[in-house]
Amino acid sequence: MIKKVEFKTYREMPIRPMTVGDMLWNLTGSWRNVRPYYDFKRSPCIVGCPTSENIQRYIQLVTENRYEEAWRTIIDNNPMPAVTGRVCFHPCMSNCTRGEYDEPININAIERSLGDMGLENPGWMAKAKATGDKKAAVVGGGPAGLSCAFYLARAGYPVTLFETDGALGGVLRWGIPEYRLPNGTLDKVVKAIIDSGPITVKTGVKVGRDIGLDKLEKEFDAVFLGIGLARSRSMDVDGEDGEGVEPGLSFLRKVNGGEKVDPGKKAIVIGGGNTAMDVARCALRSGSDVTVVYRRTVNEMPAIREEIEEAEKEGVKFEFLAAPKEILRKKGKLAGIVFQRMELGQPDESGRRKPVAVEGETIRMEADRIYSAIGEQADLEGISEAVETEWNLIKADEATGQTGRKKVFAGGDAVTGAASVVEAIAAGRKAAEKIIRIFTGRAESGEAEPATVGIDDINTDYFSKTRQTKMPRIPVGRAREGFGEIHTGYDAALLHREADRCFSCGVCNYCDNCWVFCPDVAIMRHENEYEINYDYCKGCLVCVQECPRNALSTREEGK
Amino acid sequence: MKKVIMGNHAVSYGVRASEAQVISAYPITPQTHIVELLSEMCGNGEINAKFIKVESEHSAMAACIGASAAGTRAFTATSSQGLLLMHEMLHWAVGARLPIVLANVNRAVGPPWSIWTDQNDSLSQRDVGWFQIYCESNQETQDTVPQAFKIAEQLQMPVMLVLDAFFLSHTYEIVDIIEKEQVRKFLPPYNPEIKIDTKDPHSFGNLAGPDMYMELRYMIQEAMEKGLDVIKKVDDEFREVFGRGYGLIEPYRCDDAEIILVTSGTVASTTRAVIDAMRGEGVAIGALKIRVFRPFPFEEIFAVLSKAKKVAVIDRNISFGCHGIFFQEIKSALYGRTDIPVLGYIAGLGGRDVTPGVIREIAENAISNKNPERYINWIGVKR
Repeated sequence: MIKKVEFKTYREMPIRPMTVGDMLWNLTGSWRNVRPYYDFKRSPCIVGCPTSENIQRYIQLVTENRYEEAWRTIIDNNPMPAVTGRVCFHPCMSNCTRGEYDEPININAIERSLGDMGLENPGWMAKAKATGDKKAAVVGGGPAGLSCAFYLARAGYPVTLFETDGALGGVLRWGIPEYRLPNGTLDKVVKAIIDSGPITVKTGVKVGRDIGLDKLEKEFDAVFLGIGLARSRSMDVDGEDGEGVEPGLSFLRKVNGGEKVDPGKKAIVIGGGNTAMDVARCALRSGSDVTVVYRRTVNEMPAIREEIEEAEKEGVKFEFLAAPKEILRKKGKLAGIVFQRMELGQPDESGRRKPVAVEGETIRMEADRIYSAIGEQADLEGISEAVETEWNLIKADEATGQTGRKKVFAGGDAVTGAASVVEAIAAGRKAAEKIIRIFTGRAESGEAEPATVGIDDINTDYFSKTRQTKMPRIPVGRAREGFGEIHTGYDAALLHREADRCFSCGVCNYCDNCWVFCPDVAIMRHENEYEINYDYCKGCLVCVQECPRNALSTREEGK
Repeated sequence: MKKVIMGNHAVSYGVRASEAQVISAYPITPQTHIVELLSEMCGNGEINAKFIKVESEHSAMAACIGASAAGTRAFTATSSQGLLLMHEMLHWAVGARLPIVLANVNRAVGPPWSIWTDQNDSLSQRDVGWFQIYCESNQETQDTVPQAFKIAEQLQMPVMLVLDAFFLSHTYEIVDIIEKEQVRKFLPPYNPEIKIDTKDPHSFGNLAGPDMYMELRYMIQEAMEKGLDVIKKVDDEFREVFGRGYGLIEPYRCDDAEIILVTSGTVASTTRAVIDAMRGEGVAIGALKIRVFRPFPFEEIFAVLSKAKKVAVIDRNISFGCHGIFFQEIKSALYGRTDIPVLGYIAGLGGRDVTPGVIREIAENAISNKNPERYINWIGVKR
């Protein structure tokens, strides 16, 4: 420490008012009554993601050109970003802070870019060896089962994966059309997961029929059921059985399997979910005039918004507030269908307004094909006898997937009812984590969740308004003519343009604002880190004010 | 080489010859030609200077302060409201001891809005600590620029040179243009010992407690007092190279004068013609032009005026509630050393012409005035 300079006469002084010693002896930090400190918070996108992908982090890594690390960040929570980047309903984007400023970050498109990079770089996927002394069985090769198997195998536990069909993928394979998720992409995703660790695949085996659940319980230390909803629910209307009426899932399965289909000249699709949209758009592509009939209004449709909009653009027609009443046949041939006119009543337990019949009002529509897509059911053959079920769904703990039977876990649509791919992935991962905790005897980490940042916490003065970068696509006119993938993905420039829009809510991205603004030069910049020198920080809090993303907090001294 | 140029351009040529390195200014009538020509000179490479465009005069001076603190030769020009907007930064330049040169074209202050000359803009900045040199001709204006830089840099003090709006700024006269090759013999490159330098970091303009502030102020006054000798020496050195010099003051036919008219700026030239005419009529009259106003040359002025019987000061300015400003200073130069009566005349405000007739009226009034205690005599006011 340098001592104070004292002048005996003005002749010793410089003529200019300037320092000749330094002021390090003056620890101005002692004047501080409020302390700023780096306090990284939670970005709302992460909260919105059912599988808690660290979205802020991987977008930041993209901006730094660290693609492999970005991809690994996703993989920690989701083994198939190339799938979710295409089919996810992206609740992260509805939660995006930027959506309250201009337009949300196109997280879905960024995730897809990284997912595709992962497929192009198979070396990025670390290969796990069987090191664990326990083994697990996973039933169902859909998103829940693949996810559970992946995380168990990654931890070194050998997994045997049972799948009823001849190929893995589940609903991703037989339920989602190729224009949204090409089979080639799905094949690569499945292969990457299976190759990532000690996973043995047994296809063509239906657990509950070909092999008993009790047998699996004996042979394995844990069993995960990710069996999905593979059966269409019946409409329960007169004339349903017979030629011309088909469950939507069965139709989709044929289309996705490359079978020739004939959806007639005029097809009616009944339902308002994603299956209804997929059926309608596949039928349209196979040459039919398609009308979707839904008993509520467009606002209540459970399908992903973009899918509804795409269907409409492609020429699918919609009829709302109509429920099937009677199927008409002429000489045994399908002739049309009568609908009961509905209106919206009080909200039901889902929060959506419940449709109620308008007495005496019906409408009649002609059709030579009718596809029902009013919901799917779990095929619980041989399962319901072994584990507790409710409303034809498996009962399991929401956070861990544990069922009433100690060694049996379950997740995905067979537990929740029709939900989403990402929720199934999350359920599979969480069950795997619980199983690993049981295998290792380790307790759950009790870390407190950080606070979530909102638009009021962002210093929007630092951001100019920009439009979201849309993913390039083929024109609607060409899209509707075939099953080629509609969205073609970002190039590097678009990827960066969109990633650069991210506010990085609550998390420092080294923008240097605090460092630049600190009037006391009390902020020190290290490699990817700042440090506050509290010896000289006077607590003016300019750093906190000028942080665009609320990565600093304050605390009163002495408290 | 001789050229017929306007007073404003005489400033520009002076700056070019002085090889200023940073020029920052905001346009204002009647000054604009100065920086307009300088910006062209910067653009075509005649002068190797950085021209900084700014949004106000306050910023112009701030830019000069930064440039000068970094050890470069900095120049700006302004007028009237612009100078007043700079006020805070004028103080800063002095306190920070930065040798900036500023050309102020004297323009009356509004409201009422006026673009014509009087001295209230620069004289209201009397106490900020800038050197002030009032020029009379285009040649003197040009020559004063390199002199100002030399004075400023030797003393580490800012220097303002002042010229009348229109009567000088827009009037074309023959000027012997000085070139940088010649000026280099007179004005060495500016290379201060102390400057902003990342290799030798210091904090500038920082806090000084009551134990140091007075000493820093004392040193400014010391520089001002040394300034009179420095200005004379610099003027002599200029004369050696260029054959021209201007002095601190310029007496005209004062040796045997019973009455002396004290003037400044362009009025001085007109006054000389009136002196010649009245001398022809047998009146023992002379004139004293004040060129350097800060530091104020008390002794030189006393030496000239103490030989007369009466002094009349023509002020193109007014300190409201007091008197003309030159008048105040002349009185204090004579105070306690002589009983010569001093009369104050206010004339030519807001650009009103101070003609030979006006000056004669002042002279005759001063001669016949039986009431020497009357400190303010307004000339030509429609009452």
